[in-house]
Amino acid sequence: MKKRIFNVLWAAIACFAAVCLGFIARSNGEPVNSFWIVAAAICIFLIGFRFYAKFIATKVMLLDNRRATPAERLRDGHDFEPTNKWILFGHHFAAIAGPGPLVGPTLAAQFGYLPGLLWILFGAVLGGAVQDFTNLFCSMRRDGKSLGKMARDEISKTGGMVALVTVLLIMVILLAVVALVVVNALKGSPWGTFTIAATIPIAIFMGLYLRYARPGKVLECSAIGVVLLLLALFGGQWVANSPLWSSWFTLGGIALAFCIIIYGFFASALPVWLLLAPRDYLSTFVKLGVIMMLALGILIARPQLDLPPLTQFTNGLGPIFAGKIFPFCFITIACGAISGFHALISSGTTPKMIAREWHAWPIGYGSMLLEGFVGIMALVAAAALAPGVYFAVNSPAGIVGATPAAAAATITSWGFPVTAAQMSDLARQAGEATLFGRTGGAPSLALGMAHIFSRLGGGAVISFWYHFAIMFEALFILTIIDAGTRVGRFMLQDLAGHIRPGWGRTGWMPGVIGASIIIVAAWGYFLYQGVIDPLGGINSLWPLFGIANQLLGAIALCVATTIFLKMHRARYMWITVAPLVWLIATTFTAGWQKIFSPEPRLGFLAQAHALESSVAAGNIAASKLSATQTIIFNNKLDAVVCGILMLLVTITIIDSVRVWSGLLRGSVPARSSETPFVPSTLEVESI
Amino acid sequence: MTVLRKLFRLAAALARELADESAYRRHLAHCSRTHSAAEWRRFMDAKLKSKYQQGKCC
Repeated sequence: MKKRIFNVLWAAIACFAAVCLGFIARSNGEPVNSFWIVAAAICIFLIGFRFYAKFIATKVMLLDNRRATPAERLRDGHDFEPTNKWILFGHHFAAIAGPGPLVGPTLAAQFGYLPGLLWILFGAVLGGAVQDFTNLFCSMRRDGKSLGKMARDEISKTGGMVALVTVLLIMVILLAVVALVVVNALKGSPWGTFTIAATIPIAIFMGLYLRYARPGKVLECSAIGVVLLLLALFGGQWVANSPLWSSWFTLGGIALAFCIIIYGFFASALPVWLLLAPRDYLSTFVKLGVIMMLALGILIARPQLDLPPLTQFTNGLGPIFAGKIFPFCFITIACGAISGFHALISSGTTPKMIAREWHAWPIGYGSMLLEGFVGIMALVAAAALAPGVYFAVNSPAGIVGATPAAAAATITSWGFPVTAAQMSDLARQAGEATLFGRTGGAPSLALGMAHIFSRLGGGAVISFWYHFAIMFEALFILTIIDAGTRVGRFMLQDLAGHIRPGWGRTGWMPGVIGASIIIVAAWGYFLYQGVIDPLGGINSLWPLFGIANQLLGAIALCVATTIFLKMHRARYMWITVAPLVWLIATTFTAGWQKIFSPEPRLGFLAQAHALESSVAAGNIAASKLSATQTIIFNNKLDAVVCGILMLLVTITIIDSVRVWSGLLRGSVPARSSETPFVPSTLEVESI
Repeated sequence: MTVLRKLFRLAAALARELADESAYRRHLAHCSRTHSAAEWRRFMDAKLKSKYQQGKCC
């Protein structure tokens, strides 16, 4: 009887999902209410979680609660500790949620809301969540080993080395692109710049407070930090209105880029408790709070999506980034549907804290679905803006024109009416000098979020909510920069230690400073090239980041497939091979087009050749000759980086296929590094 | 009411876990030590060293 009621309930959820998708499909280009999108997403994610993930857990992984997890066997009170399922779910989600699912869907909305929506829905269920879940499972069965270690043990030594180098490269590109998002959000904005600058003394105050005044009181300290952040937000408005102070905090792109580069160096070299850790606590709580607020705001406000389901830019000539819907929609959305970086978290802290094997189901699979839901909310926030406004904010001046009138005319000619007066009014409401050409996704997302939040708290506070959203995005992006630079420094010192053991000591000051400078210079260079790029930087750097991130996902899926084959689960290998094939198709097509496309806006080499021809023909003014040479070099560098990433992953794929073929033919022994079965004696209810 | 209370307790426990306060409590229990400023600093130095061996997710 109970089973029958459940069947009826799940059938009703499936029918409701179909009705919601039907409403979206039958809108015929008319604005559609976000309720249908949110409801369809919730239903599809629930079905994927209940049926597909459970099928994988039961048939492929053979999850077994009688088996002791590493948290139980290796319990040490530090890294290995059995943790309550829902607490670990929140912990894991807080670790995987970053700016990717917020910025990616916002940028991909240039194709219309429909492609991004469908990819997030089905990509997360069939790809991203499968990757996270399988990697968590594999690491959990191997004492919490990292992805690189699993690649080395299960595929080959080459696989491990490739994973390590790919991670380092991705880190450099990731740090550059997220820093560019912050630079573009703060450019010419004294309010935003002051608020973000104020987070540095706030974090240092918190660090000292925790270390010396009230040791151990992290929640108390974080609450004080949040209050200080809100004061900084109000202070930012005062700074913006003061002619003297606003001139101090009104910075251009290059100045902001150098500020972030210098900041990155100090964050990497200073003691971790002083700046990085307190900022991380603060950003985690603010991030979770804002995501909950956004969900609540969308549920209450139910905004209408004014952006059409499909725009003409599916043809590859979009103003925000060049490239057709396939493969660039999938590359751009990145972490909202599949993120290779998640595999590092799934094979990091989380597998060491799982109390029961079946807890991996909600933690590994469920958390990624929640991340997909964050992507859907970002898409709704962006698509709720008037299309003309969305394109005016996100299109670089190099495409739409340098003056407000020219930009408005260009965007209106695309069929998305907008006027300079309308944009000026909106900028005034948001407390900004201008909103034209604020590329990078963060400002348009902040604008969308501000409109949703202001409908809950009165229309007069758009400026407050806009800067609140900018502060929220910049706060956790800076935490990524702090932590990423530090990790890059460790990796580099580790490599240097192989040459001379003394160089590998993480406490050796010349090594700390030298390695920090090299890492900061590496991502700082890509950031700088993004800032001076006439096409806005996002056009070249975001796809490069998307390609790198998805290629890491391909490595993670190769590892999971190899392990399934060693578990004699060949008949189910399609579960990881299908998303792997899709990732290979999208990333290699995108990579190939970014390097070799003859279209200068799309292909790195084509743009370099076009600029070289202009220089040779004397069409470049003498004053711009040096900058143009730099852009030519940068395009060639991007092509080389993209090529290296593709080559590294090709090596892993060939290596994996060689191992798979041996395993399937029986010529390679199915030797797995899985830890032997130990019966569990843990009382989970006591956790 | 019970559901709300349970939810609140869960949220508070999650906040303590994210703030590393629970980890500190576990550390004290595991090593049979009592809280002090020096102990907290020792714990945090070890905890943060392992925590930031890994980058933040994108």
